[in-house]
Amino acid sequence: MEKAILARSGLAATVACVAMAFGTVPALAAPFKCPRVGGDFVFGQEANVNSLDQPASNTISTRNVAMNIFETLITRDENNNPIPDLADSYTESPDRLTYTFKLRNGVKFHNGKPMTSADVVASFDRYARLGLERGMFKNVDKWEAPDASTFIIRMKEAQPTFIELLSSFSVPVVIVPAEQKDDAPMQLKTIGTGPWQLVDFVPGSHVKLKRYDGYTPNTHFEERTGFGGYKQACFDTVTFRIVTEPGARVAGLKTGELQGVEDLPTKALDDLKKDKNIAIVPLLNWWIQVAAPNTSVAPTDNVLFRKAVQAALDMDEIMDAATDGNYRLNVGFQYPNQPSYTDAGKEFYNIKDPAKAKQLLAQSGYKGEPVVLLTNKDYASMYNAALVMAEQLKAVGIKAELKVVDWPTSVNMQLKPDTGWNFFFTGYGTQPALGALATMQFFTPPNANYKPKDGKDDPDLMAAWNDMNSKPDAKDRQAAFARMQALIYERVYALPFGSLTKVQGVRANVQGFKPFRIPRMSNVWFSN
Amino acid sequence: MAGVILRRLAGAVPVLLIVSLITFGMMRLIPGDPSSVIGGLSATPAQLAQIRADLGLDEPFFLQMLKWYTALAHGDLGRSILLGQDVVGATLQRLPVTLALSAYALVITVVFGLCSGVFAALRQNTVIDQLAMMFAMLGISVPNFFLGLLMIILFAVRLGWLPTGGYIAFTDDPVGWLRTSTMPAISLALLQVGLLARITRSTMLEVLRQDYIRTARAKGLPRRVVVMKHALANALIPITTVVGIIVSLLISGSVVTETLFSIPGMGQLLTQAVLNRDYPMVQGGLLLTTAFLVMINIAVDACYALLDPRVRYESP
Amino acid sequence: MNLPDAPSRPDAEADIQDVPIHRQHPAWMTLRRLFRHQLFLTGIGLFGIILAAAILAPIIAPVDPTKLAMRYKFRPPDGTFIFGTDNFGRSLWSRVIWGAQLSVVIGFSVVLLNAIFGTLIGALAGYFRSLDNGLMRVNDALMAFPAILLAIGVTAVLGPSTFNVILALAVVYIPRTARIVRSSVIVLREMEYVQAAVAAGAGHWRILRRHILPNAMAPLIVQLSFLFAYAVLSEATLSFLGLGAVPPTPTWGNIMAEGRQYMSEASWIITIPGIALMITVMGLNLLGDGLRDVLDPRLRIQQ
Repeated sequence: MEKAILARSGLAATVACVAMAFGTVPALAAPFKCPRVGGDFVFGQEANVNSLDQPASNTISTRNVAMNIFETLITRDENNNPIPDLADSYTESPDRLTYTFKLRNGVKFHNGKPMTSADVVASFDRYARLGLERGMFKNVDKWEAPDASTFIIRMKEAQPTFIELLSSFSVPVVIVPAEQKDDAPMQLKTIGTGPWQLVDFVPGSHVKLKRYDGYTPNTHFEERTGFGGYKQACFDTVTFRIVTEPGARVAGLKTGELQGVEDLPTKALDDLKKDKNIAIVPLLNWWIQVAAPNTSVAPTDNVLFRKAVQAALDMDEIMDAATDGNYRLNVGFQYPNQPSYTDAGKEFYNIKDPAKAKQLLAQSGYKGEPVVLLTNKDYASMYNAALVMAEQLKAVGIKAELKVVDWPTSVNMQLKPDTGWNFFFTGYGTQPALGALATMQFFTPPNANYKPKDGKDDPDLMAAWNDMNSKPDAKDRQAAFARMQALIYERVYALPFGSLTKVQGVRANVQGFKPFRIPRMSNVWFSN
Repeated sequence: MAGVILRRLAGAVPVLLIVSLITFGMMRLIPGDPSSVIGGLSATPAQLAQIRADLGLDEPFFLQMLKWYTALAHGDLGRSILLGQDVVGATLQRLPVTLALSAYALVITVVFGLCSGVFAALRQNTVIDQLAMMFAMLGISVPNFFLGLLMIILFAVRLGWLPTGGYIAFTDDPVGWLRTSTMPAISLALLQVGLLARITRSTMLEVLRQDYIRTARAKGLPRRVVVMKHALANALIPITTVVGIIVSLLISGSVVTETLFSIPGMGQLLTQAVLNRDYPMVQGGLLLTTAFLVMINIAVDACYALLDPRVRYESP
Repeated sequence: MNLPDAPSRPDAEADIQDVPIHRQHPAWMTLRRLFRHQLFLTGIGLFGIILAAAILAPIIAPVDPTKLAMRYKFRPPDGTFIFGTDNFGRSLWSRVIWGAQLSVVIGFSVVLLNAIFGTLIGALAGYFRSLDNGLMRVNDALMAFPAILLAIGVTAVLGPSTFNVILALAVVYIPRTARIVRSSVIVLREMEYVQAAVAAGAGHWRILRRHILPNAMAPLIVQLSFLFAYAVLSEATLSFLGLGAVPPTPTWGNIMAEGRQYMSEASWIITIPGIALMITVMGLNLLGDGLRDVLDPRLRIQQ
């Protein structure tokens, strides 16, 4: 007999329960209704959208648009807990080998066709073929559709983290019509079930969406939450306009040419805050700014040297330059508002003690070898962070050099330890938001962002990682994470600088726009 | 005439072949590949490897090359890796934007360049001449991205008259097109206005000194008729060549302008494709663009021959 | 007078007309004429400012142009900071002056590479018919690329650095220079005095060096002076697009690219290097105009 999964972990509260809690407790309140309908909401987006094929793309710009068009079986709520979206409910068998999803009734695709389990099977099949995170299916035996509204996933072996992975929004398994099963990568026809449907997509210019009148909201909820909940399209149309120039986004918001924008430059904020027609909506914790050391080459193979670097850094100065002041100091790889946050290892964060750094440097036997900071110009925050870090390293007598290339080149170089770099500058964006598990994979094979020396992983680190994955008790998994984070600090496998705030802004008459990892266009309306 | 054009077209084939070889080799030599773009900010190495395998990027260089040329021989320019569009489709979507912008810039160029050049020549060594030539000198000396930035600061940010960027197609909304294209077209045209003004002036001066102009004047023909019918008509021949060069320059210049003003044209498409390592898009798109430019050159030469009978007779 | 001493410039006769009283060395005449040319002098003056700034950079801008000073960020130009500071509090005075040095070095290097390889390729293609076809096909192909895209491609391959920008710009412009040299050489090759030298049994290299190249110099020098301007401009454009010399190297394009996102609040960061760039390009263009007026016989005779 299958039982509904009950509070399996702090992160994944039972989904059926969540759904019921939302559906029943505040039952007195009526579901969200657009206070005002109509208008074209023009959103200035910083990065170009290449393709709307969500399973085949992991870029933020794609997600920004696609997640308003497509929906998934299960997703995350405002607090990052898994909730059903296209699924009416789902259950996990006691042996964790079978997941049964009941589909919501009355859901229709933008082409008018009702969604059935056949579409779900086809979407999963396509994802298994080309989805970027198809690795999550490695323990899946098969999936099947016993009837039109039931979808079952059968596992080869239990994987406690499966629901966490499946509900992830980094490259979600969106449900598309069965006919799209064989669409080639990047060529998925843009037909979803979401509140918005595609009108027009001109790469490099804009994407225009319109309200899908046949949308069936999820009545288990009364409000939008995370990517799910009770969603309603209030605008007639939404236009994502690509405006790569930050100054142009500011000007567009000021003139009202754009009603919402992402990533406002800090320098412009003082001025914008004075403008009564504009509301600034900071999106906290956009990513964790990180420098990853290359532990395979000198001098960063030496833990004492890495500790010297760690001791030298002033995180406030680095983050201030990286973000023009829009940041928060942050210990570790989770944010304080997340259930799995821990400050383990905080004694190694933001030491800013040049004397200690010099002492460690002397102990490490550093002889003035060049230390190459590998960064890129595509992400200004990474470039700026590297510039300041180089300055701080020089101040303690380290011969720091910048290597500035473009993003694809730097990614390619960091994959190989022998390409002449010591620190790689990156940001952990989606992963920290998804949880500790998603983030810690950067420190474990085959994904190690740090390079284990001679290909040998740190056994202590691996032990902690295994516990994080396999301990049945959520508390133990959390303790393992804390242990792993402390180890990363202590042995300096990464230098997390702090968390970056992405400032968004809307015109004052835009109501209901709450910052989230992607701009959500549902339940947002013009007040006049 | 037709024979000459045909021969020129045939001569273009080896050139385009070399272009495609250079492009193919160059793209594969650029470090980094499209996987890091598809993978986004924090793709894991395992994901990157998987994307590379999906795209066939782990195949040997010569196999990839063989595949590309085989497809090309069948008239297939391939598909963009990132856009989910085939190369021809993407080009056909973007080329009209660049052409509309270039046409606008060309109109500005010809109107201002030709007029100021002719006036300067007619009023040689007067204040008008000096002013016109100073302006022309300014035109060829101001970097177009600098002028673009200055215009954005002034007209878009400070005054709010024009949008800071973006593009509206003429067919969708002519007024919107004018509003979005005017600043880019001016910044694109300025250099060419300067060039054309200078060349028109010197050509006109040369023509005005010719005997037949003196004769025409001596016959008592009104100055206007002499200038328009005789001088300008003859000056047009070298000017046509210059206009041909200008068209190529405009398309080349659109790379920067389109990037600055977020205009979805060919220049932006190709620059992005290079930066994103979208191999098929760069290979196919550049081949089409260069073919187009070669075509323009041939067309210009044909015009030249039509305008100047001597060329026609001389051509073998 | 033996054949090798034939008039070294086709316009030598014009010299005689201009200065009938006492004949001087033609090079001296050219110089004198240049220094009476107003535009040329203006050009020299403008470019001279930039050149002086470039040479004197260590003296007039002793502050390290890459030195961060966060507490001074976004200072508008005033008494303390002549050109103001940028988002890292770096002195724009230092950055713009050192940027001038880089622009001049890059421009000059590109010109030098063009003078060497453009002449070599152009001369070979123009003189040896057997080489012409092959060389010119490659030349045509390189010229068929939109210039900026070719430069973007080459810098992307080589990786962004000052040296690689020089190489990339050389690749873009050498075909154009080669073409100009080639067309002069083709004309000169058929000249009677060259034919005579051939008949006298002079070797190919000697003919090229002594008889053809000296006479092909005038258009080349004019072209190179304009090329200097293009190179400076293209370098700035490449840096502006993020493909030039590696930041934090202070090139004008880099400074403008970094200042771009502060253009409405701190517009001096882009206007000052922009104006410096404009002065340089204009100076070089005027200089080129002057050279052309004086060296190009056809235009000069008209005036």
